[in-house]
Amino acid sequence: MTSSAMVFMAASWTFVLGLTAWSFRRILKKG
Amino acid sequence: MTTGRTSNEAWGSRMGLILAMAGNAIGLGNFLRFPVQAASNGGGSFMITYFIALLLLGIPLMWIEWGIGRNGGRYRKGHMPGMLAAIWRHPAAKYLGVIGMVIPLVVMIYYTYIESWTLAFTWFSLTGDYFGRGTQGEMVAYLQSFQGVGDPASRVHSVWTPYAFFLVTLAVNVWIISKGISGGIEKLARIGMPILFLFATVLAVVVLTLPAGPDGSTAWTGLNFIYNPDLSRIGEPRVWLASAGQIFFTLSVGMGSLQAYASYLSTKDDIALNGIATAATNETAEVVLGGSIAIPAAVVFFGVSGAMAVAQSGSFNLGFATMPVVFQQLPMGQLLGAMWFGLLFFAGITSSVAMLTPIVAFFREEFGMSRQPVCYALGVITLLFGLMHIAWLEHGFLDEWDYWAGTFGLVLLAVVETIVFIWVFKPDNAWRSIHQGADIRIPRIFKGIMTYVTPVYLLVILTWWGWQDALPILRMERVTPGSEPYVLLSRGIIVLFAVVLAVLVKIAWTRNGYDDRAGFREVVPQEEVR
Repeated sequence: MTSSAMVFMAASWTFVLGLTAWSFRRILKKG
Repeated sequence: MTTGRTSNEAWGSRMGLILAMAGNAIGLGNFLRFPVQAASNGGGSFMITYFIALLLLGIPLMWIEWGIGRNGGRYRKGHMPGMLAAIWRHPAAKYLGVIGMVIPLVVMIYYTYIESWTLAFTWFSLTGDYFGRGTQGEMVAYLQSFQGVGDPASRVHSVWTPYAFFLVTLAVNVWIISKGISGGIEKLARIGMPILFLFATVLAVVVLTLPAGPDGSTAWTGLNFIYNPDLSRIGEPRVWLASAGQIFFTLSVGMGSLQAYASYLSTKDDIALNGIATAATNETAEVVLGGSIAIPAAVVFFGVSGAMAVAQSGSFNLGFATMPVVFQQLPMGQLLGAMWFGLLFFAGITSSVAMLTPIVAFFREEFGMSRQPVCYALGVITLLFGLMHIAWLEHGFLDEWDYWAGTFGLVLLAVVETIVFIWVFKPDNAWRSIHQGADIRIPRIFKGIMTYVTPVYLLVILTWWGWQDALPILRMERVTPGSEPYVLLSRGIIVLFAVVLAVLVKIAWTRNGYDDRAGFREVVPQEEVR
């Protein structure tokens, strides 16, 4: 896997997983 | 002015609502269409334009649809004619809303048929029925034989096999919908979504740890194939349209079902954070899991050029022919095959049950019918027209519905609802409505995006697709000789649905004494999401 492809994949995964984690954390905090 | 007959249903819990909404969004496209689109449109270039489309088109549309739906719920309107009429006090509003009933009805009918393929292939995997057909060509022939396409002499299954699986799939759908919002749809989501994520995670781990294939390719070569940043393609309109189209399909916007689900919320319930959570869950299923299974597996066993050929032959060949070839070469292949088709089945059924919700809501709310008879009647209608799809698949009967309702219609409804909710209702009112009961403040830049960027984006897609595809399809330029009568009949049925539903809307408005210019009377919610 080339480093540029790895950067794109890492950025994509970080964005969607980060958004998911952030939104569910907020929801769970609200109870 | 009256509110018509009412129903007092509500979601049982916030998590149940989010899982059901995510289940509605996560469909076959997450696991089959996304990797093919990414790989065919420049990898990294596609991902850049994909995330831009998510921010400018997908997430704003999610909020718009949640907003329209919840606003409709204030007047106990779970269907688009009522929702649009609640916002735009004009006689035309209710008829524009008919688009939002035709689309889910039409898509539900053919989608349930496709869903039945996943159930059938789950069974064929468990029983090892296709094992021994180890090449792509043999599996394509097996799939076509099951579909009843091609030479009848080389048929593997009884001619009745696809009918039997369709009947079972439809019965399960009708049974779930007949149990109601909390007792049926929410329960399905609570069971189906964890199973879907579990199966997808197991398959992704299996694929990513596969040893190198015959030409030395690994799953990471496959990921490289998807994510390789061919930035020279970022200037191509085709790439931008492909990514916008994928965002559209994957979030299930423009369908009428998301709005129907949101109508069971009250103004005290959040939609801003719930909308983001739903979109994010869908994106995790698509980008992280959907991108890590089919294409990487195909690259390991067929190499990059072989996987590219598979991708270009279509998503269904990738899912129903290539993947079974892969499973036959893996330890516990029968189990892994059943998991793959099982996850597609759960992805499908959590979407298809959503599609009938607006129609069920219409008959319950406007004609005072109870849920079960409406569900059974719609089941009979789906059966009747679904049988036509099975019998005439090779004549392009399904393709016609898929284009006019499942592609062009989605963008058309999105354009209509965006204009009504943002421009007619006014941006300030729409913004306030979305923020009622909100757990987060949406960044203000999204108000400008919803007002100007999203509608323009949608109009560009509608115009491009209209010019590129709609006219040639309308002129039947791509229809195989001899199939013209089937295509005309297919179109005629969509028109018939639209006319019948428009007449029913007219009857409902008259019998319930609605005044188009006065609006509906607000209903005090009986229950709220806890």
